[in-house]
Amino acid sequence: MPLLVCLPRRSSAGAGRRRSAFATTAALAVAVVAAGLALPTPGVSATRNIIAREYDLKAAFLFNFAQFVEWPADAFAETGSPITIGVLGLDPFGGRLDSLVAGERVGNRRLVVRRYRSVDEIDACQILFIAGSEDDQLARIKKTLGHRSILTVGETRDFTAHAGIIGLELSQRRVHLKINLGAATAARLTISSMLLRQAQIVASSED
Amino acid sequence: MKPSRTSIRRKLVTAMMLTSTTVLVLTGAALILYDVASSRRALVHSLTTRAEILAANSTAALAFDNPDDATRVLAALRSDPSTVMAALYDRHGQLFANYPSHRASTAPGSAPVRMGSWFEHSSVVVHRPVIEDGRTLGTVYLQSDLRALTGRLRVFTLVVLLAVVGSVGVAFALSTWLQRGIATPIGTLAEAARRVSEGKEHSVRANVVSDDELGLLAGAFNEMLGEIQQRDAALRGSEARLRQLNGDLERRVQLRTAELEASNRELEAFSYSVSHDLRAPLRHINGFADLLQRQSRANLDEKGRRYVETISESAKHMGALIDDLLSFSRMGRSEMQQASVNLERIVAEARATLSVDIAGREIVWQVSPLPEVPGDPAMLQLVFTNLLSNAIKYTRGRTPARIDVGATADEDEVVVYVRDNGAGFDMAYLDKLFGVFQRLHSAEEFEGTGIGLANVRRIVLRHGGRVWAEGKLDEGATFYVSLPKEVAGERQNREAA
Repeated sequence: MPLLVCLPRRSSAGAGRRRSAFATTAALAVAVVAAGLALPTPGVSATRNIIAREYDLKAAFLFNFAQFVEWPADAFAETGSPITIGVLGLDPFGGRLDSLVAGERVGNRRLVVRRYRSVDEIDACQILFIAGSEDDQLARIKKTLGHRSILTVGETRDFTAHAGIIGLELSQRRVHLKINLGAATAARLTISSMLLRQAQIVASSED
Repeated sequence: MKPSRTSIRRKLVTAMMLTSTTVLVLTGAALILYDVASSRRALVHSLTTRAEILAANSTAALAFDNPDDATRVLAALRSDPSTVMAALYDRHGQLFANYPSHRASTAPGSAPVRMGSWFEHSSVVVHRPVIEDGRTLGTVYLQSDLRALTGRLRVFTLVVLLAVVGSVGVAFALSTWLQRGIATPIGTLAEAARRVSEGKEHSVRANVVSDDELGLLAGAFNEMLGEIQQRDAALRGSEARLRQLNGDLERRVQLRTAELEASNRELEAFSYSVSHDLRAPLRHINGFADLLQRQSRANLDEKGRRYVETISESAKHMGALIDDLLSFSRMGRSEMQQASVNLERIVAEARATLSVDIAGREIVWQVSPLPEVPGDPAMLQLVFTNLLSNAIKYTRGRTPARIDVGATADEDEVVVYVRDNGAGFDMAYLDKLFGVFQRLHSAEEFEGTGIGLANVRRIVLRHGGRVWAEGKLDEGATFYVSLPKEVAGERQNREAA
């Protein structure tokens, strides 16, 4: 089941005074909690909670991308082939991804999770999460992958500037999306306008 | 306007108007109800469609946790002023985005449990899931007011009302025009009937020409009148004939009566004159017989004296006969007196008159109370004197002689009887008893002229009564006289009254 993180009640933009007061309080609370990250033991569990939530969200996003992105036919070996979500580098998700995709189908395809230590290991993969640990290798990874129809997702800053297709940025307790449409087109991927609407469209800094 | 036609007309028009108005109102109500139901359905349908569209557009916003985009999607509802409120809820039922967003939202903080579509407080609500690829990402909640519905209802009701009113007007005009086909012939018929019953004239005819029951009725009516007229004419004809026959009869009766009276008078005159004419020579015979007896007694021998006596007696007898005949005819001619006759006095008087005959006789009288009857006293005196005289005479051989006089009465008449234990008579000769000069006994046995009972009969008949008798040879006789309690003329008057 897709996990939409249970975030505390949010207020929509431009709500009444009461709401914004609450939001402000919540933000302050988060800030306090976030600040507590630097503090010893009492803040650690809180931090873990926040981190847990962040990666629940991101895992959910990875899963959801499968619904809003179209791969060309040759991206799959057969019609029955599963959608592979790969994690390259240090896996920050723990078992979340696996439990999330277990038993699920998207477009009648099963989902499998694969972990790669190096880009050369990657064979059939449709969604590739590039962990922050590979941040300095981005250019090489991109070159190796070439124009294969893989939706590259990263969480580092400038991920999309370096021809990554979707970047996940955590800010203000929300995961913001950045999409490099050119990179997507180069990879022959069609991203649904619905998904595009949720994101900020960026271009490669190289283009 | 004749009363009958107005009320039929009103009834017909009222009936038609009631029918058509009821039908129109019912139809109108049905139409309105149907329209309300179908516009509600349509509203729900359109709202559901809108919610589906919103849901379809919100999948990514929900999937990627982008409430801003969701709010933008919902903001499109601005174009429909009937939208009260819309909201998107996430998978856990938490409020994700809402519309309108510029004021305090009326959206519930968490998704209502109820799904589907329903009406609540003057608004319609749709609550549907947001589904992407079979997975529920959240729910969309849409609330719209009913202004469209009420507006439409108002317009529709107005239109229906106008249509109904217009139709009622048309119905009125139509029914007023159509009722004529029924009310007019009825009125004509009623009018004809009224004229017939008021004026009793049967020459009236109802002029109704229609090919239905009314025409039938009028036809039957006219036929009946025709028959009545015919029968009337026939009746009058028979009446005339009857009168004519009556007249004929009357004339014949008068003729006959006149004839009878004439012959009666002739008869009486004849008998009167005859008796008078007979008397004269008789007087001579009597006188000279007497003279002869006195004058020539010395000269006549035994035989001669006997001859003269016989002549004298015979002459006297003849005189008596003539007297009786005279009195009989006089009885026929004289006028009857009207009085209340005390029969007891009559009987006593008769006994007094007959005292000479009674003297020396052993007679046992039994006279019961007798009533009073109307009649001629002298005539009735004659009757009873005669009857008693007969009784005395014919009981001469009896010792003692018994004479009973009594009376019975019923409603109409009194029956007086005179019973004796005398010589009696043979019933075979009953019809001769009351005849003129009829005698059932010889002069040697009992003297008499034989005119007494005839006289009695005549008098009693003139009183409107009857006479009859019963008797047995040698065992006595009973003579009955019935006299009416009322004089015949009076009774006729009473009966005619």
